[in-house]
Amino acid sequence: MASFIQLLVSGLATGAIYALIAVGFTLLWQTSQTINFAQGEFVMLPAFFVLAAMNAGAPFWLAALIGIAFSIVILGLLFKVVIVDPMLKYGVLPLVISTIALSLFLKESAKDFYSSQAQPFPALVPPTDVQIFEAVVSTQSLVVLAIAILTVVALNLLLNKTRVGRQMQATAQNPTLARILGIPVRLMVLYTFLLNAVLVAIASILVSPIYLAKFTNGETLGMAAFIAAIIGGFNQVRGAILGGVILGVLDNLSAAYISSQYRGAFPLIILIIVILFRPQGLLGRLEERTV
Amino acid sequence: MTRMGAIIVGLAAIAAIAAPFFLKPFGIFLISTWAVLTIAAIGLNLTLGYAGQISLAQGAFVGIGAYTVALLTPLGVPFFIAFFAAGLLCFAVGWLLGYPALRVQHHYLAFVTLAFTTLVFLVLRNEEWLTNGIYGITGTPRPTLLGWKTTAARDFYFLCLGVLAVLSFAIWWMLRSPWGRAFVALRENPIRALSLGLDTRRYTLMAFAIGSSLGGLSGALHAPLVQFIEPNSFALGLSFNLLLMVIVGGSGYFFGPFVGALIAVLLPEWLRITQGYYLLLYAAAIMVLMAFCPSGVLGLVERARIALVGRRKEPATSTLAEGAGP
Amino acid sequence: MTSVLAVSDLRKTFGGITAVDSVSFEVRDGEILGIIGPNGSGKSTLFNCVLGQLRPTAGEVRIDGKPTTGMRPCDLNRLGVSRTFQLLQVFPQLSVRDNLILAGQEHQGSMASRLFGRSDAGLGGAAEKMIEFFRLSHLADEQAGSLSYGQQKLLDAAMAFMAGPRLVLLDEPAGGVNLTMLGSLRERLQAYHAERKATFVVIEHQMEFVMALCTRVLVLAEGRIIAEGAPHDIRRNPLVIEAYLGH
Repeated sequence: MASFIQLLVSGLATGAIYALIAVGFTLLWQTSQTINFAQGEFVMLPAFFVLAAMNAGAPFWLAALIGIAFSIVILGLLFKVVIVDPMLKYGVLPLVISTIALSLFLKESAKDFYSSQAQPFPALVPPTDVQIFEAVVSTQSLVVLAIAILTVVALNLLLNKTRVGRQMQATAQNPTLARILGIPVRLMVLYTFLLNAVLVAIASILVSPIYLAKFTNGETLGMAAFIAAIIGGFNQVRGAILGGVILGVLDNLSAAYISSQYRGAFPLIILIIVILFRPQGLLGRLEERTV
Repeated sequence: MTRMGAIIVGLAAIAAIAAPFFLKPFGIFLISTWAVLTIAAIGLNLTLGYAGQISLAQGAFVGIGAYTVALLTPLGVPFFIAFFAAGLLCFAVGWLLGYPALRVQHHYLAFVTLAFTTLVFLVLRNEEWLTNGIYGITGTPRPTLLGWKTTAARDFYFLCLGVLAVLSFAIWWMLRSPWGRAFVALRENPIRALSLGLDTRRYTLMAFAIGSSLGGLSGALHAPLVQFIEPNSFALGLSFNLLLMVIVGGSGYFFGPFVGALIAVLLPEWLRITQGYYLLLYAAAIMVLMAFCPSGVLGLVERARIALVGRRKEPATSTLAEGAGP
Repeated sequence: MTSVLAVSDLRKTFGGITAVDSVSFEVRDGEILGIIGPNGSGKSTLFNCVLGQLRPTAGEVRIDGKPTTGMRPCDLNRLGVSRTFQLLQVFPQLSVRDNLILAGQEHQGSMASRLFGRSDAGLGGAAEKMIEFFRLSHLADEQAGSLSYGQQKLLDAAMAFMAGPRLVLLDEPAGGVNLTMLGSLRERLQAYHAERKATFVVIEHQMEFVMALCTRVLVLAEGRIIAEGAPHDIRRNPLVIEAYLGH
């Protein structure tokens, strides 16, 4: 029971991080039909921004803010303006290919310009443990969980309670209608990209203490984002959150009970099962096309 | 195909046949690699360029094909049986993989193939009793065909070239048939195609399964070519490479894979001067290419041709149909 | 006698909007039924539900008595149902002849036999006949994308007829076509109808076209049928006039 609680808590923490990444991914798809294959690398990169800032002498909290800022500019603004916008006229396929190339580019950049060795990343809290019932849980997990939950709550508030947020949602659900209603669609799409940049930066800061900052992080994290989004139902933000959490919990539980050699296979099998039996995901609806 | 195009293809064919006589063993190895990779690229081109689906598993299929041959031939199975087995196995796996994934839109196949590639890698690495794990399998023999031994580099190259020619012809035949027209319809206007009775799902699935089987056949030749295979060669990197090959050559063009594979084989040689930044530059080049000419090198060639030669004449604007009264 | 097309209580909602609200009607063999109504009355949505492009929220569609609700468009086409599109949907890179062969090839034999058979799936002759019927002979080898708008409309209709369907749904066939072409189009449609005894359902805005072509007319407004009858009666129906003027 004790270890189960431990696993559950750490699973929820991981799941919350996956949720952040998956939500950003889903938002990008919803508002601009962008399938961002580089989402994993987007999470890998900000950690290096932070490390670089710290190397330049900044204290952690400042470096974190700098990392988020860089993320917003590079992974949000530049990504949209330099890569996505020019490609949209060619359709979805070339854009997907571009993001695949981008993921390779970012990965190699981190490897070549920073380091190919895994870098330790400062934890948010000193490594202490706390007792919950009989389980010993690391405060790190709890803090990660808390921050991730806060972010998700803030995201929800933003999307549902603010005017801008509701406009973003309208743009995501029906851009043509949104335009007719006078919503500045292009601006909303830009906001989505910037929002994604913030989400991946936060996820990066939360995940790097555990995984270390490695240029290969993008592969697993990206895969987790895609699977979480698909489990939840590709075009649903709530679905992405649900999918992320489920994936995180299952992943952690499976790590304890499945051989470590096939550790990475579990999420992949979940993906294949979902695609086979419920392709629209848990919360999604089967979509249809009109003429 | 234009007359100019036919001449170029003819010259290229002559070059391909003559080349091994002028090259050192490493050069022959390179062009053999080109031939083998082109087969896999042709398969991926079918999936991507003709059916519009992204597959990130082509490298895994090459791996499945390679291991099939590497495991069967030491048991005494004749090479060509193993060869066909590789193709058939990959066709079946492709079908099984694609059937559920293609029921949904959203490019799910891309994610499923991504997951599949990782799974295949894990199995190849972990199941040592079967695959010898990370230690790999060495010494896959080169076949003897009706008395012709292909052990020497040049002979094996001609085997690869021959297989490439036969498979290219088969694909060309397929594209000339009503299937080819169906693929164009699938690409240009799937909604209209559906309303005309064209089962878009089935054609897409077929393209993916056939494309995957070509990956397997490529792998079947790869094993005796390099004579040492291990799981890492067939991980995501190869799938990415093949994808980029098809894109750079020009997806949807019949000769795209040939051009793309050639560039991919020669590029590391050219970029050796960049010392390890070459992947970075390659990725950057892809992004630039996508921004300016997503239809690849052959797309650029076509654009140049149109710019130099001008479009075909416009059809006569006034027509009998328009003038015909009620 | 079972009707060719029977729609019962068809409903389609998108979120909070009801585009089609419990529509029921039947189409008899050999009829040319017109469906008219102001913009946004649900005509296209209705079509898309019948044709499998959209899944209805409720209700049933039967073709020749067989339930076909939610069937995929390609399966419907195999049952003998065909359509033209409001926004042009020819295959621009293929020649006119290839467009027509494509339109009929999926009905020739099986997928496997088509792989090994003739490149034109045996439809060369049929395509020629169709090209002549629609008076496109001089354009047979031109890329469809280079045809004029009116010519593409003719091609669109020709494609819909290639497989010899018994039920054809035409979505605004007259839209954007100039007057001379219009007469030609209508005349060709009537000729096909007479020759093959096919059944048509036509959505249209242009009154004159509807009056001249259709044998019976349904009027849709706000997702519901508000009138039904012979063309000249419909024209004078006060409900109909109000529906149009009100928009």
